[in-house]
Amino acid sequence: MRYTPREAFFAFRRAPLLTALSVVTIAFALYTLAVFGLVWLNIERVLDDVAQRVEVIVFLEDGTDPGESATLMSELATYPEVDSIAYVSKDEALARARADLSEYRDLYEDLEVNPLPASIEVALKPGFRRSAQVREVAGRVEQFPFVEEVKYGEEWVSKLNFLQDISLFLGFVVGGIFAAVAFVAIGATINLVLIAREDEFAIMKMVGATPGFIAQPFILEGFVKGVIGAVLALVLLTATFSALEQRVLSLGFYTPAQIVVGVVLGGLLGAVGSVLSLRRHLYGGTT
Amino acid sequence: MILFQNVSKEYPKTGFALRDVSFHLRRGEFVFVTGPSGAGKTTLVKLITMEERPSAGTVRVSGFSSDRIKRREIPYLRRRLGVVFQDFRLLKNRTARENVAFSMEVIGTPREQIGLAVPRTLAAVGLASKADHLPAELSGGEQQRVAIARALVNEPFVLLADEPTGNLDERVSKDILRVCKDINLRGMAVLFVTHDRSLLDDHVGARVIELDSGALVSDTEAGDS
Repeated sequence: MRYTPREAFFAFRRAPLLTALSVVTIAFALYTLAVFGLVWLNIERVLDDVAQRVEVIVFLEDGTDPGESATLMSELATYPEVDSIAYVSKDEALARARADLSEYRDLYEDLEVNPLPASIEVALKPGFRRSAQVREVAGRVEQFPFVEEVKYGEEWVSKLNFLQDISLFLGFVVGGIFAAVAFVAIGATINLVLIAREDEFAIMKMVGATPGFIAQPFILEGFVKGVIGAVLALVLLTATFSALEQRVLSLGFYTPAQIVVGVVLGGLLGAVGSVLSLRRHLYGGTT
Repeated sequence: MILFQNVSKEYPKTGFALRDVSFHLRRGEFVFVTGPSGAGKTTLVKLITMEERPSAGTVRVSGFSSDRIKRREIPYLRRRLGVVFQDFRLLKNRTARENVAFSMEVIGTPREQIGLAVPRTLAAVGLASKADHLPAELSGGEQQRVAIARALVNEPFVLLADEPTGNLDERVSKDILRVCKDINLRGMAVLFVTHDRSLLDDHVGARVIELDSGALVSDTEAGDS
């Protein structure tokens, strides 16, 4: 085997306890981070579900010419924000009202004239559901003369936006803190490993090994530990998740792509942690 | 090869460790550096390995100068030096063979070359039969021989032995000195640092540099430097 991989794996065999300690530390650090990530992901998912209901309802004046409403619809279809359009005729509106508002059924039973207007329901694409964007679309539609009113639940869209902002903020801040804690914990265990091998560094420096060469096996070691730690964290997370899922329905889990990214991230954390600790050992004090 | 030109080394806390020291070690030369503890012997070795830089004056070692050497060049300087210490500094969990091979591996020597050089060097210090022993299974003298083999295996131009006999009894100390003499006979320069003047008794006529309180008080070849 070549020097670098051989030395990296030699380290596992030679100091199994220390290796296990750092792998477990990495696993717990990543597990904590992953649990937070999962909670955040599910909050985001719920908010996304709610956001899907953001729509603009365009009420048309009675007696609007079908040709005119068709023009409006094809115009709406060209808006980049618009996801889908549905026309609701006066009769459909009444039928829906009867079905949805059963307690007022009597009110709708004996009507001679249908008081409900025809409308166009405009669903917006993700990324165009912020209140300012919705207001903008509504404003454009209001320009049409046969449009009686445009509604889009301004108040709840702003509330939803507020929740989305808080969630995003917490995601970054709290997630950042968790990531920093994980990084410090990983760095500390790697540092322990390096302290245990100060004598090796001294000899390598004495015989003229370059810092890059000295670093290679430790970086590989850190990467492998990070990957093993991440896989361990994933096992723990899966167990926690399936226990939770039996009580709470329909929770979202990480996608396979996210899992792969997470595992690689674990490896990179281990490798970067090694590099940072190594700098102190290789360049700290005398050369 | 090694040239000290008016070299002083001052530490912020402890003051001068070396004061205006000049000498010249030529290719293939054997020189004792002696003096009581605190005389500056170890500082002198650290200046040669460029683990320390002089506060004044210049140290030149095999084409590198303390004035101009860059940090990234230091490993390449050290590949031309073999260093041995009082405390051996062997890796405890590696055999004699692995300890010697280690110093070749970490500078990227091809494996075939390591396979040839390691047994040859261990044989040269008389340890061929103990190649597979861990340091703990070897006597102090044998451990120091492993350390010498490790210093020699990369074929440096000089062996720097910093109190190599400090932990060894008199008989073994003489053995180690003889190993160093043998190495010198094959053409390698040796700088042998010791506080134990009795070791010099058998080597009348050898060049001796004597340090005291950081100053060079005598050099049996002074005037040539």
